[in-house]
Amino acid sequence: MDEEQVVKFVETYLKKKGFKQAELAFQDEVQHNSNANSVDIHSDPDLSLLLLSLSQSEDTPARYNDEYSKLRSWTHSSLDLYKPELLRVLYPVFVHCYMDLVAKGHMQEARTFFNSFREDHEMMHLRDLQKLEGVLSPSHLEEMEFAHTLRQSKVNIKICQYSNELLMQYLRNTKSTMMLGIVNDHINFQVSPGQPSLISDDAEVVTLIGSSQDAANQINKKEIHWGLLEDSLEERLENAGALLSDSEKTEGEAKEGDLDETKRRSIEGGKQGASVKKLKKDKAASATAKVVRPETNTGSMAPRVKSELPLPVIPTEVEQSIVEDLRNRVQLSSASLPSASFYTFINTHNGLNCSSISHDGSLVAGGFSDSSLKVWDMAKLGQQSGNSVLQGENDTAPSEHVLGPNGVKRSYSLFQGHSGPVYSATFSPLGDFVLSSSADTTIRLWSTKLNANLVCYKGHNYPVWDVQFSPVGHYFASASHDRTARIWSMDRIQPLRIMAGHLSDVDCVQWHANCNYIATGSSDKTVRLWDVQSGECVRIFIGHRSMILSLAMSPDGRYMASADEDGTIMMWDLSSGRCVLPLMGHNSCVWTLAFSCEGSMLASGSADCTVKLWDVTTSAKVTMTEESKSGSANRLRSLKTLPTKSTPVYTLRFSRRNLLFAAGVLSKSV
Amino acid sequence: MSIVPKETIEVIAQSIGINNLSEDAALSLAPDVEYRMREVMQEAIKCMRHSKRTILTSDDVDAALNLRNVEPIYGFASGGPLQFKRAIGHRDLFYIDDKDVDFKDVIEAPLPKAPLDTSVVCHWLAIEGVQPAIPENAPLEVIAPPSDGKNSEQKDKLPVDIKLPVKHVLSRELQLYFDKITELTLRRSDSALFKEALVSLATDSGLHPLVPYFTCFIADEVACGLNDYKLLFALMRVVWSLLQNPHIHIEPYLHQLMPSVVTCLVAKRLGNRFADNHWELRDFTASLVASICKRFGHIYGSLQTRLTKTLLNALLDPKRSLTQHYGAIQGLAALGPNVVRLLVLPNLEPYLRVLEPEMLLEKQRNEMKRYEAWRVYGALLRAAGKCIYDRLKIFPPLPSPPAHAVWRDNRKIVTCSNKRKAGTEHLEQPPPKRLATDGPVDVVSTDLSPSHMPGEAITPAPSNDSNVGPSTSSAHMPNSNDLDRKVERGKGDHRSMKTSAILNQVWKDDLKSGHLVASLFELFGQGILSFIPAPEMSLFL
Repeated sequence: MDEEQVVKFVETYLKKKGFKQAELAFQDEVQHNSNANSVDIHSDPDLSLLLLSLSQSEDTPARYNDEYSKLRSWTHSSLDLYKPELLRVLYPVFVHCYMDLVAKGHMQEARTFFNSFREDHEMMHLRDLQKLEGVLSPSHLEEMEFAHTLRQSKVNIKICQYSNELLMQYLRNTKSTMMLGIVNDHINFQVSPGQPSLISDDAEVVTLIGSSQDAANQINKKEIHWGLLEDSLEERLENAGALLSDSEKTEGEAKEGDLDETKRRSIEGGKQGASVKKLKKDKAASATAKVVRPETNTGSMAPRVKSELPLPVIPTEVEQSIVEDLRNRVQLSSASLPSASFYTFINTHNGLNCSSISHDGSLVAGGFSDSSLKVWDMAKLGQQSGNSVLQGENDTAPSEHVLGPNGVKRSYSLFQGHSGPVYSATFSPLGDFVLSSSADTTIRLWSTKLNANLVCYKGHNYPVWDVQFSPVGHYFASASHDRTARIWSMDRIQPLRIMAGHLSDVDCVQWHANCNYIATGSSDKTVRLWDVQSGECVRIFIGHRSMILSLAMSPDGRYMASADEDGTIMMWDLSSGRCVLPLMGHNSCVWTLAFSCEGSMLASGSADCTVKLWDVTTSAKVTMTEESKSGSANRLRSLKTLPTKSTPVYTLRFSRRNLLFAAGVLSKSV
Repeated sequence: MSIVPKETIEVIAQSIGINNLSEDAALSLAPDVEYRMREVMQEAIKCMRHSKRTILTSDDVDAALNLRNVEPIYGFASGGPLQFKRAIGHRDLFYIDDKDVDFKDVIEAPLPKAPLDTSVVCHWLAIEGVQPAIPENAPLEVIAPPSDGKNSEQKDKLPVDIKLPVKHVLSRELQLYFDKITELTLRRSDSALFKEALVSLATDSGLHPLVPYFTCFIADEVACGLNDYKLLFALMRVVWSLLQNPHIHIEPYLHQLMPSVVTCLVAKRLGNRFADNHWELRDFTASLVASICKRFGHIYGSLQTRLTKTLLNALLDPKRSLTQHYGAIQGLAALGPNVVRLLVLPNLEPYLRVLEPEMLLEKQRNEMKRYEAWRVYGALLRAAGKCIYDRLKIFPPLPSPPAHAVWRDNRKIVTCSNKRKAGTEHLEQPPPKRLATDGPVDVVSTDLSPSHMPGEAITPAPSNDSNVGPSTSSAHMPNSNDLDRKVERGKGDHRSMKTSAILNQVWKDDLKSGHLVASLFELFGQGILSFIPAPEMSLFL
């Protein structure tokens, strides 16, 4: 390449970029000392190539189209072994080509380019494409979060050495500098020696997320303690069971005489401030007279952790009743399926947004789009059928709420106070409080005993999509359109922690069994796990293809289930941050998930009017790689499908005794 | 460029009072409008999801606008579907038709009924995993089919793969075997190898994958090989062997096989050569049909009824040829005496009336036709005889061992003689027949049948009540006498004597159906009486 050419290139470059001053200056310079140019272009072929491309790029839009289609056909005709890896490169290249075209102002060409190649990627990235389709001007690129993050970050693609070489060689040989530029700018190849990786391994690779995969991996390396709380009631009961089995060998069942005494002692012990060891012994003793519970290993295997939050004290009577429930719990397995009780809302006039069921199933709350929250007491509902003798007892409850303004008797207590649709409601573990979140950006605390609003928590700036009480009560977490999740305690009107990091709305929130973590699901298709104490994100779970609608934590604290808009349910191992397995079966939004109390079963309720029961004990042992080898065995996990009568299922809850409660609205459509 | 055309922008601009919007402005606004629209829809869908709905309403759009601090659009309450009307003179312009409402009407209208208040009802969705059949649950029949499908999906590991239209893969060996068998059937059905093949077909255990191919092959070959007698017979033998094979599950293919088999039974022409003994083929097929009915009749309730219907139709249609009638009779007879009694005997009289002229030399000049008629007559007699024999068996004293043996022997003789008749006696037979049927047909029948009637039909009536033994034994005696004579002569015709005797016996014994039987006997007697002189004639010969 001789000097003249170089001069020409530089000139055209300057002209094209509109640097008129520089161009003139350059021309002057060239004329004055034409021999003084000392840039050694000859020895740098890359530079000359770049210059060449810059000088040639008068007809850029066409070149994008050209080079991309060439790359595409080359990829499709590449070796079978390397094709999957190379195909993965196409999508980011496609997206960035489009955005480059938009950024340079070639709207028309961008649209034609997009439309001519979108079919390739529709299967995997339909939702992203739908979003990107709307980007039509350079300003949109800046404004739209998704596009913006795409432009900012690099995509990580795992690729084997040979594929990488192939690609680079192709790009160099064909002089597709546009593509080369995009690949260099936006793709970060993680070249691995040896054979290409399996496609099934890295479904997440193809998901373009804002934060880079590296960051996610970094985050996922943090240590988490997923064990259950020390000294939980269940642990105590289990120890009691273990003790019992010991004592049974020696003493047999002759303890009945002591029963009364031990019970009394246990109550005293509780009152005195619960010296734990004593209580354990008491429990052991009192348990002898009770039904022997089959031992479960799941609980005892889980490591124990200390709570990082100061926990509320549970009243002894409540503790007693919970222990009683635990003792009477039905063991669920694939052979013994649970009984399910269904609460159907009728005459909602399309206004019910959410529902919630208390832990014992006696209270049902519904949040309505007319800003009201209604709570039904199912125990009273049964009596209403004309049992006037018991009416006297009911009178102790404030009757003005039961009676409507016109004296018409209502079957529910009406809570009014919100000024926007109520999107979520949650009962405290004891059932004495209800929290509701609304589009008016507030969360309200209501007392079911007083039937009155106690507190209004203001802190979010946008609608609050979800609110959840912690498993011990007192604390609660909220998720909002403002892309944050917040931790609150009942006694403060300001949030204790703000979890920020999601790239889109936080749609749902769930507490970990040990209260040290919360999980949030978002419209950015990720689930994150946050440390409550530090407010840090400790896990990112990537794999869903659409908005996350519901989350559930396994009672042993090890697994989490998340469900999305498409009906896919994913089980995650919290410690590794990997997907254990996807559960396919629903064909519409899964509104709710619930683990059975001992964690052997997962129930899911969906807009397709079914409740599905999944066996998760077996799945827990099989990792995803084994799963893929053994074929699509996940169908085996589905134990039972319970269709409802055109009633989408909004809420599911297992009671402590493993009775399944479900709620939904009878919809007239279909 | 944008899905929003610039005309729309202009119209919108006009609607808010900007009349002189430049084209460039409209053009650059269009993509932004599209982007904003998508943005609003994205938020609206979020609101829809959080309201736990799958249908977008205008409330969701309002909520989305609210999120973006935009005034909601009024007047689109989601009461009913919106009625868009096309603006006159514009192709792509629509507007919503707002009705004028008179205040007076609104004020004076009666208050609408208050909507029902929300309530919660409770029911059991499942009890220990089983859904109770209560009206609150989805109806059972709705549950059943999908749950079946799902169950199979859940239980089988790869149910989808199984249901996929998988290409039926045949092993190389089976293909070779099939080719060999078909080749033998088509070309060399008289070789010893073919016999071996039939044995193999009837016994080998691994042939099931070939069954659909065999059924297809048989159906195809029968359809196009009706002229090839040898082929047809070979095919029927293949069917027979397949039916014999205990390892083959042939039921699902019966519906394909049956038409071909029935064709071989009642087709008008089987084989194109004079020498083709299609009678034998029909007899063989009749026994085949009978065995099919016996084996699968209880599984397919409609099998026998449909078959008998087909055969009876063939028999009673006077337009059908005699060969077809023969096949039908043989088929019906093979199905058992009850079928004959119920279906053939009632139609005997009219049928014989049609048949008789065919058998007469003066009426039917064509020797072939006459022969066919006689064949049919013989088949009819045999069918009736078997039926009668069966009836006789019902009465305890009658079925004495000699009678059995005699009948069996007799049948063999009959078939033998029939065969011989076809070959050697073909020319010899008509003369006696002619003589036999010469005069007496009308004369003797009128003379003798009345005399028989009182003797046979009336006298036993009382005797049967008191002593069945004597009457049957007395009837048996001439029977055996007849038989002796018959064996001497070796003639099939004498069977008719015996049958007539047995027949008489039956009619005698059958008290319940007294009158009907009497008349039937009369009818059949006519046919038989025409035969009576035959032994004498043969004796004479």
